[in-house]
Amino acid sequence: MARVIVIDLSRHNTVYVGHDRYFVLHAGGPPLLVRDHCPHRGGPLSLARPTPDGRRLSCPWHGTKVGVSAVRRGCLPMVRSGDEAVVLLPDGTEPVSVLRKEVLANLPAETGPAC
Amino acid sequence: MTIIETAQSPALAAYCAQPIFRPGPDVYITGNPYRRPIGPVGPASGFAVPATLAEFLGPGQLAAGRILCNAYESDMILLPAAGLATAKDDFDLFYGDEIRRLRDTVRPGLERYAFSFLDDAVPAPPVRTLDDLQEYFLAEVGGAGAPADASGVNPAVDPAAPVGGTMRAITECRHPEEAAGLHLIQLALDALTEASAMARNLGGSYGTEQSELFKIFNDEFGYGVYGAKHSTIFKEMLASVGLRTDLHAYWNFYLTSSLIGVNYFNWLTEDHRGMFRYMAAVTYLEWLFAQGFADTGVMLRAVYGDRVDAKYCDEHAHIDVHHGRMTYENLLLGLARAHGEIVIPELVRGIEDTKLLLRLGDEDFRAQIAWADDLAAHTGTRTDARDDASVTTLRPDDPFTTGVHDADLLVEVEDGAVHVHAWATDRPHLLEKGDVLHVPAHRLHGLKAASPRARVATRTVETAERTHDA
Repeated sequence: MARVIVIDLSRHNTVYVGHDRYFVLHAGGPPLLVRDHCPHRGGPLSLARPTPDGRRLSCPWHGTKVGVSAVRRGCLPMVRSGDEAVVLLPDGTEPVSVLRKEVLANLPAETGPAC
Repeated sequence: MTIIETAQSPALAAYCAQPIFRPGPDVYITGNPYRRPIGPVGPASGFAVPATLAEFLGPGQLAAGRILCNAYESDMILLPAAGLATAKDDFDLFYGDEIRRLRDTVRPGLERYAFSFLDDAVPAPPVRTLDDLQEYFLAEVGGAGAPADASGVNPAVDPAAPVGGTMRAITECRHPEEAAGLHLIQLALDALTEASAMARNLGGSYGTEQSELFKIFNDEFGYGVYGAKHSTIFKEMLASVGLRTDLHAYWNFYLTSSLIGVNYFNWLTEDHRGMFRYMAAVTYLEWLFAQGFADTGVMLRAVYGDRVDAKYCDEHAHIDVHHGRMTYENLLLGLARAHGEIVIPELVRGIEDTKLLLRLGDEDFRAQIAWADDLAAHTGTRTDARDDASVTTLRPDDPFTTGVHDADLLVEVEDGAVHVHAWATDRPHLLEKGDVLHVPAHRLHGLKAASPRARVATRTVETAERTHDA
């Protein structure tokens, strides 16, 4: 049976589903709840900085560039109404918690040449 | 073998006399990370006079290497896999007040003895500025066969590259599995406690470089996932080829150069004045490791076939491409930018030290496998030798240890039979009554009675004085 939670985006930007962490990414358009996991080695993409062209996130662990479009494709279904968002969680019985953390991925893109 | 009386200090004598540091009857030491026999304690100077480069592989350096390894690792958490109850008394002794007091007393003198030769043996290139440092480093790694790619970072590995040097020498041995095993054993000296020396540089407060080092440490420790920890996958590699996975099970087969090499990194992290040298040494190694471990994987698969689990090598061939770039950009150059020209000579020194230790270690290992691979060819009948025979009677349960000598020796079995352990094999070389074995200077070996009683005469071979090429 699908699990649904409601989060207050003015207070929370991070969701733990068991050991899996998701964060709210602002990358143009509506906010997305994306997995905080670099496909290279699992680095925390929430602590990544956007590349100068804004199209990728530079993982803080090994500098791997992860396309925002690829991150977007793995987001959890979320419907927002004002600050309130309804999220459809993956099936399972893991405990769920929500909190607010610093998300560097939402900072302005780094200056310097795109690479 | 017997403990040689020397002019060593009372503290050193007391340290070496601790029960856990005395040899026992076993060739391999399993299930107890606190038992670390030191063996013969030379030199006659009592370590007061630093070893020279020519004495790099001598018995004094072997003893100092073992003592220092014990000293540094008593600062790490080591527990027996079968549970503490199996070695509680030794645990209490290894970490106890008395051994720590003695350790702290003897360690600085032993470090001077072991590492002072580097002051004279390595050059001091005229590298003063950040630009000099970049140019120097890239020239060095290029000269070592790992040039930077067009973007200025170390290139990805070539898993199909033909292997040469020591890896090829191993595959060409008559007993390649023993030679490959000895190589894995030398790696195990460090790999089973992987990055524990690095951990000493994680604390404190020194800017962005501290965070950069932590990322590398995080990789080494598998992001906190035990199955991904590098020491875990190293154990799996050992087990796949039938080697023991206990910490220091092969203590008796660590070569002198391996002990000095690992102690060097522990020394630089124990004495924080060495941190700049350490960071540069790590940078140089990480840059070279990517292709180096790819080559090691090729060698292991050639020797052991499909049964070897070489994930450890594959992991390093992958992650050390990143570590080479990260250390170069963020540690070596990062520290030079942050602290200026005052630290650049020390950074260069770390690279020069490491280059020399790698070369000396490679020479030591290749000499050992060349000799151990064909002991029958070194066995014959008695030849001219000095009349300085030292006669020893051995029994199977006598304490066993390995050692090296400064001169070539002839080992003659006058009665009974003995096994010669020149590398960690379950098929040691058998010497019977009348057999004489030539043991070159600096070759690690140990003797164990293969009959209820064996009488062995050891003589020094007349040779010109040996020196080590600088």
